Amino acid sequence: MESHNPDGETGDKCDINGDCSPISNKDTVSFNHTKNIDDISTPSELKFDEDFEFEDPDVTEKRNELERCLKNPDLINLEQWQNFAKSKAGLISDEYRRQIWPLLVGVTEDEMTDPPSLDDLSKHSEYHQVVMDVNRSLKRFPPGIPYEQRVALQDQLTVLILRVIMKYPHLKYYQGYHDVAITLLLVCGERASFPLLCRLSYGPGAPLAPFMQATLQPTQHLLNYVFPVIRRADDRLADCLDKAGVGTMFALPWYLTWFGHSLNRYADVVRLYDYFLCAPPLFPVYVTAALVLHRAPDVLQCDCDMAMMHCLLSRLPDDLPFEDILVTAKKLYEENDPTDLEAEVNALEKREEEQRKLDQERMKRRQAGRVAPRGGGWLGALPAALRRPAGRRAALALTAALFAIYVYYRPELFRNREDSPDL
Amino acid sequence: MSDPSEPVPGLKQRKVFKIIVLGDSGVGKTCLTFRFCEGQFLDKSEATIGVDFRERTIRISNEDIKLQLWDTAGQERFRKSMVQHYYRNVHAVVIVYDVTKPETFHSIASWMQEVESHGLLGSPRVLVGNKCDCGTPESRLATSYAQRLADKYGMPLFETSALLDSECDNVESIFMTLAHKLYSKQPLRVVSVEGERGPRLVTLPRQKRSNTSTDSCLCS
Ligand SMILES: Nc1nc2c(ncn2[C@@H]2O[C@H](COP(=O)(O)OP(=O)(O)O)[C@@H](O)[C@H]2O)c(=O)[nH]1
Ligand SMILES: [Mg+2]
Repeated sequence: MESHNPDGETGDKCDINGDCSPISNKDTVSFNHTKNIDDISTPSELKFDEDFEFEDPDVTEKRNELERCLKNPDLINLEQWQNFAKSKAGLISDEYRRQIWPLLVGVTEDEMTDPPSLDDLSKHSEYHQVVMDVNRSLKRFPPGIPYEQRVALQDQLTVLILRVIMKYPHLKYYQGYHDVAITLLLVCGERASFPLLCRLSYGPGAPLAPFMQATLQPTQHLLNYVFPVIRRADDRLADCLDKAGVGTMFALPWYLTWFGHSLNRYADVVRLYDYFLCAPPLFPVYVTAALVLHRAPDVLQCDCDMAMMHCLLSRLPDDLPFEDILVTAKKLYEENDPTDLEAEVNALEKREEEQRKLDQERMKRRQAGRVAPRGGGWLGALPAALRRPAGRRAALALTAALFAIYVYYRPELFRNREDSPDL
Repeated sequence: MSDPSEPVPGLKQRKVFKIIVLGDSGVGKTCLTFRFCEGQFLDKSEATIGVDFRERTIRISNEDIKLQLWDTAGQERFRKSMVQHYYRNVHAVVIVYDVTKPETFHSIASWMQEVESHGLLGSPRVLVGNKCDCGTPESRLATSYAQRLADKYGMPLFETSALLDSECDNVESIFMTLAHKLYSKQPLRVVSVEGERGPRLVTLPRQKRSNTSTDSCLCS
């Protein structure tokens, strides 16, 4: 039961893409548009100016093959499309993607329906949050996109998101969902991206479904798989991450948005989506592990400090070799099936739970300690310096005397504040 | 991240003050922290997913201090589970609301609860009304009204705008106030920071104008 509302505007909303691609430096392929189910918003013509110096011969060959296959798509089975999507360079160009992505998740043409108008949706309780996030998604649009076209696309994005969460009311919108939605929208257009996003959000094994539950608990649990995967590949690196207590937050936007939020290069984002659309739902976590492993030298050099580590990891460099990272991720997945990791993840979560309890107790004591003499909050500064291992000795030498005096007066407070593992 | 002032091993380690920035989604937390750390308005701000991190080194009494700002996601679902981890060892708190959106002001009570639940009521805190460049004086939340709540919670109030370059000093003073407060609370140390008494009189090292009044808006 799709709500149809072919509002007269959609036509001209989308015919405005002529100007936004000043230089199309991808080969212009004579392309059979009869299968084009989504002429409304020909999004593939949006161009993210990519430097396109020379094409790898393998990729050129693949391109030719893809074109051959797309002339007779009915003769190609799912596995063949998947092979294209996973192997080197993925689906290469958005012109192919917009046809193949729906096939990868099994969306059919009759599921692609006209969206309702924005007005019909504005009463939804998440409307304001969605609009707020959509309005802040400027970075995700092709540079130089004309204002009207961008605004039109942003409206389509809002509609797309609200349509899905209205169709499945138990699914909760999360900040980051809009980053997935916009990627689909830019590639496939508004009609095709709706059933695509539905497929990703709802149903057994739907990769985004765990993110849309009432809390982020399920997401956090799945993200925790990254640690045993890393540990099995590089013990020293795992120790380093452990010691810094960096947690998984650095990778949260990666997982929630399939890296769409965190990568600057559009080409990298769509390449990863090619793969994720036909990979197991947990695969992005293995890509996360592969990425951290790839950056191991930086991580090992980094201050063993939660903030520094979080900062280092959460900012992704622009020149990541994603083809290699995907190969590594695939290997990691084959060698460490999620079911084999369950026990390790459970143990890790148990440890975290215990730590949380300790933190809570520590905090209670801290509160109790505060009541006695007023103004006890200052202590923060001192242990912060001491916690930094690089400066530990120096700081200790400098402050040992002061510290001794302090501890003499307020031993309980110090213990509450310091992050000592033996508490 | 090639900070030239990175501590040289063996030399004196810089102090680190960790400040967490809270408030409803869209009030301008990301823009405010960006303004303070980068000195400009972030014109392509994006939704914060989870926790973001920014830092800046400041100087108090000839000592370099690293301010770590933890910029959190406003959406409730992020707070419940994952953000918890990042409250650990927080030294100070900034709560932000949007002066043009009363509902974001009314959320302050629940943010305070959260602060309390993490045992941070004793830490320096400030309340910030952002976007005072927006709307008309009538459409903005009255300062007196906000001041009353700020007094109730015993925290200084700042009204400012992350957008206006003219408010730059004011944004500066928000974080400098906290930094001075944290600095002055260090034990057994002679602190003589000019204007340290009272949050509204902080003397700023980088201040460009001398007559910055922190509780009035220079805009509109
Ligand atoms: N007019 C105005 N807009 C602002 C100001 N600060 C932030 N914004 C805008 O408000 C929106 C939300 O800001 P953001 O910093 O992302 O909010 P956050 O969710 O609290 O981090 C963005 O579109 C900003 O451009 C301000 O001082 N004045
Ligand atoms: Mg933000």
